[in-house]
Amino acid sequence: MAKKTLTYEFVKGIWRENAVIKMLLGMCPALAVTNSASNGLAMGLASTFVVAASGLMVSLIRRIVPGGVRIPTYIIIIATFVTLAELFLKAYLPDISKSLGPYIPLIIVNCMIMGRAEFFASKHPVTPAVVDALGTGIGFTWVLVVLGAIREVLGSGSIFGFAFLGEKIFTPWVVMVLPAGAFLSLGLMIGVINYFTLRKRRAA
Amino acid sequence: MAGNIEVNKGDSLIISSSPHLLSKENVHRIMYTVILALIPAVAASVYFYRLNAVILLLVCTITAVVTEFLVQRFMKKSTTAFDGSAAITGLLLALTLPPSFPIFGAVLGSVFAVAIGKQIFGGLGFNIFNPALLGRAFLQATYPVLITTWHDPVAASVMVDVVSTATPLALMKFEGVMTPYWPLLFGNVAGSLGETSAIAILIGGLFLRLRGYVNWKLPLGYLGSMAVFGGIFWLIDPSKYPDPLFHITAGGAMLGAWFMITDMVTSPTTPKGQWIFAIGAGVLAVTIRLFGGLPEGVMYSILLMNAIVPILNRYTRPKVFGAVKQAADRAGGSSR
Amino acid sequence: MKKNSPLKMIITLSVTAIIIGGLLSGFYKLVYPQIEANRIAEEKIAIFTVLPEAKDYDIVEYEILSKKKGTEIVQIFRGKDENGDLMGFAFVAAGPGFQGIIKMMVGLNLEKTYLEGMTVLDHMETPGLGDKITFDFFLDQFKELRISPSITYIKNVKPKHDNQIQTITGATISAVAIVKTLNKKIAIILELLAGPPGKLKVVAEPAAVAVPAAVAVPAAAVAVPAEGKGK
Repeated sequence: MAKKTLTYEFVKGIWRENAVIKMLLGMCPALAVTNSASNGLAMGLASTFVVAASGLMVSLIRRIVPGGVRIPTYIIIIATFVTLAELFLKAYLPDISKSLGPYIPLIIVNCMIMGRAEFFASKHPVTPAVVDALGTGIGFTWVLVVLGAIREVLGSGSIFGFAFLGEKIFTPWVVMVLPAGAFLSLGLMIGVINYFTLRKRRAA
Repeated sequence: MAGNIEVNKGDSLIISSSPHLLSKENVHRIMYTVILALIPAVAASVYFYRLNAVILLLVCTITAVVTEFLVQRFMKKSTTAFDGSAAITGLLLALTLPPSFPIFGAVLGSVFAVAIGKQIFGGLGFNIFNPALLGRAFLQATYPVLITTWHDPVAASVMVDVVSTATPLALMKFEGVMTPYWPLLFGNVAGSLGETSAIAILIGGLFLRLRGYVNWKLPLGYLGSMAVFGGIFWLIDPSKYPDPLFHITAGGAMLGAWFMITDMVTSPTTPKGQWIFAIGAGVLAVTIRLFGGLPEGVMYSILLMNAIVPILNRYTRPKVFGAVKQAADRAGGSSR
Repeated sequence: MKKNSPLKMIITLSVTAIIIGGLLSGFYKLVYPQIEANRIAEEKIAIFTVLPEAKDYDIVEYEILSKKKGTEIVQIFRGKDENGDLMGFAFVAAGPGFQGIIKMMVGLNLEKTYLEGMTVLDHMETPGLGDKITFDFFLDQFKELRISPSITYIKNVKPKHDNQIQTITGATISAVAIVKTLNKKIAIILELLAGPPGKLKVVAEPAAVAVPAAVAVPAAAVAVPAEGKGK
């Protein structure tokens, strides 16, 4: 494998190998908590913290852990950071903790995090591992924020809790804050992105 | 595949692949006949709801056609906007809406029905779900309050102070009040544009049946299973559950049975599949009506059964006689 | 030692588990007081919302037999006015709504004849429809609502009796579920209050978190200092 720069490792997670829109990983939180932009942001940041911290740990211990118990060890590490994040939110940001509900503990089963640990952090030194994890996390976060913003604008007529569309000029589409709206908007988002990517490729 | 005919001139032998019988039918003809069949229902809705009905019907139909045209323009396809299928989608959608439904909602529903319900799958013939019902389901989730605000036909036609009332099904479900049959049949009850008059829809449906565009198994299976399944509960406790006739005359049962479930694209192609499809939908509709959270189940029952049509088509395919199992599978596979 | 020997695997996992276990319990100890303070602050705000004239409260616990769970502990919050006299009762009622459990705090006057107020603590009702149960126009109906013989509801028109509320258009099921839950729970509470007195629960840190009743957002809880070393 050719040596790749740190910039490359960082940038690839944001667009080219984006967890949600390109690899379709981490669908559960992406669909479940994005009923508002701020929820998407909180979930994105919590996941970024977990993926970066577990990337760091996994990379540190990659030579010590025997291959046979590799996966259980990763899971323990990921679960630890998820629990830390959950307790932190519960103590200092109770509102966000309440609106995200059970989806914070469920970060543990986010394939994106396990994927980065297994496919990248366990095979690379600390710096690239953390950089890759941060890139992935930020890529995850922006998609969640955009999705949350789309759904919040259409579903509640507000953005980041700031209502800029009055009830009189715009009747909110309730469907957008329901699960159906999550599937619709994520599907259309990926569809539009793919359509333009393919068209560009065909033109090139 | 059709029309692949080779004629050896001067020879009595014609070599062609099936089908061998060709008719003058085409999409245009079928679609405009369906529109013709909808006229009684449309007329009844205009009679009962006057201007509201006219506006909704026009808005939905025009939006549906325009959306189809624009989407196909954008996707650089030849347009089928004027073959009547988009117009039917718009008309049917309008018939499922309450008369006081706002225009922006009607526009949104029609755009969704045609763009997401039909064109995104590849256009007419490729859609999995009935586009009009999909549009209606989207509106149900989008404007849950507006779409369940019903008005008495009389009050709406006077247009002075519109009184919000409950539909016969909601009355039955939440308050245990039955509506007599005559209003149900002739349409003097609250409800969406097309669900008010069962007779008007029945006339249109029978006309379609006479022209041979409706597969009799579907409406019969649907209404029949609703009556039988609903009747079982009625026999158990007549004071709590409505009787079979109420089930098939109230709500969207008639419209669903004659114009939605019979959609050629979204119903199964095999006789056995058609029976399963229609009966399953009828049982589902009654189940939702009696035990679900909503008073009406016709829309979801048909949409849910639409989803399993591909499976029904696959597993109810008629046997190929005289073929070994493997060979039959291969033959079946290549024809798809 | 070979890299994949069973012994090494066991040691690795055990060591990881021990380190992590220590780390987590340490962190939990650190943040627990804050989490508990948040919970109490929320409870307090809810109680003072449903008993507007209360200035303080204590908690009485009753043990009751329930069919499903065996014995169950029911807490009744006794509201006190500024003189420290008993002025009403508050309790939590929870029951199935349209999608999940609706959890409410309910205030009852001293004579046990009408509700002082009701507020929703937790719910999973449909946004835009069912979540109107948390709106003031709905909750205000429960102020001074007579509870005998039971709470009733009516659709689409203004309530006709003083034990009646009007349901929400488009979310009838949520509103009706609340009425049903309340009636059930009120019956239990009335029975408990009529029976032998319950056990007074000693609250660990009385009035350490002074939250004005007017503040309706749990965000106020964040202002509480995180140190919990005093206990």
